[in-house]
Amino acid sequence: MTQQVQFTKAVGNANEINELLRRYGVKFGIYKNGTFNEQFFPFDPIPRVITAEDFQSMEKGLAQRVNALNEFLFDIYHEKKIVRDGIIPEDFIYISKGYLAECEGITPKNNVYSHISGIDLVQAKDGEWYILEDNLRIPSGASYPLIARDLTRIAAPQAFEENPIIDNRGYAELLKETMENVNCGGARAILTPGRYNAAYFEHSYLAELTDSVLVQNDELFVEDNVLYHHTYSGGKSRIGVLYRRIADEYLDPLTFLPESLIGIPNLMEAYRSGNVGIINAPGNGVADDKGIYYFVPKMIKYYLGEEPILKNAPTYLPFYEEDMKYVMAHLDKLVIKDVAEAGGYGVVFGRDLTKEKLEEFRQTIIAEPRRFIAQEVIDFLDLPIIEGNKTVMRKADLRVFVLSGAETKVWASGLTRFSRNPDSFVVNSSQGGGFKDTWVLSR
Amino acid sequence: MKRVNFFYATKLTFDDYVHDHSFALRIIPLETDTQHILSCSLNIAPYISTQQTVDAFGNNVTAGYMRDDHRFLDFEIKGSAQVDHTKHRTDYMPCYLYQSQYTKPDHALKVFYDSIKKKCTGTAADKAEYICNILSKTVEYGKGSTDTTTTAEQAFALKKGVCQDFSHILISLLRMEGIAARYIAGLAFCDGETHSWVEYWTGDHWEGIDPANNCSVNDDYIVISQGRDFRDCAIDRGVMFGKYTKQLQLVRSELT
Repeated sequence: MTQQVQFTKAVGNANEINELLRRYGVKFGIYKNGTFNEQFFPFDPIPRVITAEDFQSMEKGLAQRVNALNEFLFDIYHEKKIVRDGIIPEDFIYISKGYLAECEGITPKNNVYSHISGIDLVQAKDGEWYILEDNLRIPSGASYPLIARDLTRIAAPQAFEENPIIDNRGYAELLKETMENVNCGGARAILTPGRYNAAYFEHSYLAELTDSVLVQNDELFVEDNVLYHHTYSGGKSRIGVLYRRIADEYLDPLTFLPESLIGIPNLMEAYRSGNVGIINAPGNGVADDKGIYYFVPKMIKYYLGEEPILKNAPTYLPFYEEDMKYVMAHLDKLVIKDVAEAGGYGVVFGRDLTKEKLEEFRQTIIAEPRRFIAQEVIDFLDLPIIEGNKTVMRKADLRVFVLSGAETKVWASGLTRFSRNPDSFVVNSSQGGGFKDTWVLSR
Repeated sequence: MKRVNFFYATKLTFDDYVHDHSFALRIIPLETDTQHILSCSLNIAPYISTQQTVDAFGNNVTAGYMRDDHRFLDFEIKGSAQVDHTKHRTDYMPCYLYQSQYTKPDHALKVFYDSIKKKCTGTAADKAEYICNILSKTVEYGKGSTDTTTTAEQAFALKKGVCQDFSHILISLLRMEGIAARYIAGLAFCDGETHSWVEYWTGDHWEGIDPANNCSVNDDYIVISQGRDFRDCAIDRGVMFGKYTKQLQLVRSELT
């Protein structure tokens, strides 16, 4: 705690940094009631500190988890051994919205499916870390700790002289390596749906950091199953790897949703032919489905023959009769998540419901058991944040980015998000949360 | 066993110039255990370079891109095949057991299934024939009331449809019954356009059934493509840029 206080002093004035963030245009967008609003992502100056010892075990555990998830994705889109061997019931794979039959048989370069994984963790009061969810589609947020660190460095350079903080600027190099590992010959590109996207700031920032072209779909085309970029002079230049920041369903109107106006026709043909790398691989949604989460520790044992280093939050699947009984008996104490929702939507705490609502919800779970998972509410560690002139305690989580290139590497940084509402456990930026820098100590 | 000549042509005409036109055709018939393609030629006009791939469902995909202005796109296939339905196909995929976009049943279709499931007994073949029989009495064959976007539940509500609709409703019912089923697009002697029918999984191989004609599939059928439903099998899918453009599509097919 004394260490924390010392950091607070060192980092100084939140207003100054938030002012800098505003000037840099660090924003994210939210759709509410059909209109688009850009908001500043409020920054809190007290960093979260992760000790070297904690980080080392987290690093091993996360690399292990992501390696198993990559094996799982390869297996599901090829032989499906894990289903055949009865580890995961078939239903959980094929009812999942994230499973895309169109991706069957495609082998991405070097077998990497989840190039950039955003794994969300929380630390319980007893110090134990728990995995909350895996984000293997297009996890966002890496730019925030990067830019916050830059600005903190400007506002409080002495903090970095006095403390053994691992420099997080290596992300650019790490991301570049990860892209190059699956480059099929050509330029690197980041595909954005445009400036009305929630994470547009991040798209442009990452393009700048990695020397990638920032493109929208109408600048790209596929000819002879090769992806090209229209150059300003009327020519074409080849794209070898595409870090796309649009969802699978919109990626190629000739393979997925025909009505998509933000996709690239025949991109999937180019991808299937091995002429372009797509980051992350289409179809990854089957592995970060909230229903599949339950099975990740089993995957680690199955594919790697290892014991999971990091724990899942205790989870129940109403799909299994025994779990259903438990969920029904303890509904008022559990947190229930709709497997089809993301971004903090579809999360219900049993204790917040009135008697009638609880009963109604009970019936919904009985009617659609596959749609929900139930978890014990982890009493996670509060972190101090500055509110006005006071320091208050709020719930926070941590998104760690794991990059799978030739090797799986865990970025020694991360996005710590906190809830500004003292009664809330939901920290998602789309639910009005804030963020702070995450310092990983080197000793 | 039978030797069959096939021909299929589509003419797309636009009433104004279009450009940056990308397309994916699923038009070259599959080589399978039941049909051996002896010859097949594909012609596309205007001339354009294309690439062939095989998609997740085993279909031949011909992809192309025309950057320059054009007002039409014609493509045709011509060839011959040796068809033998005494042989069996075994290319199973688990996704065929699960409802897909076009086959997801609504309340009415589920109620209908509940009303027939008691009498739906025996082997997969018995069940498929039984459902097919009932369908032919429940749904009327008729053109003009449905189009390529019509789902099983919509066609079932109308109680009217064409081969595509019959296929979707049958697939939906078979999958509710726990029988894996897939959509087939192809050519048949009984039709002047393309035809569609269904294959169901017997437990160790696929068997064809034609719900629009309420009959089983024989050597007079040529499979062009297969998938979970129409969406995986569309003969042509395309995206193009232009001013307000109407598209006229003429289709002709022949089996001899």
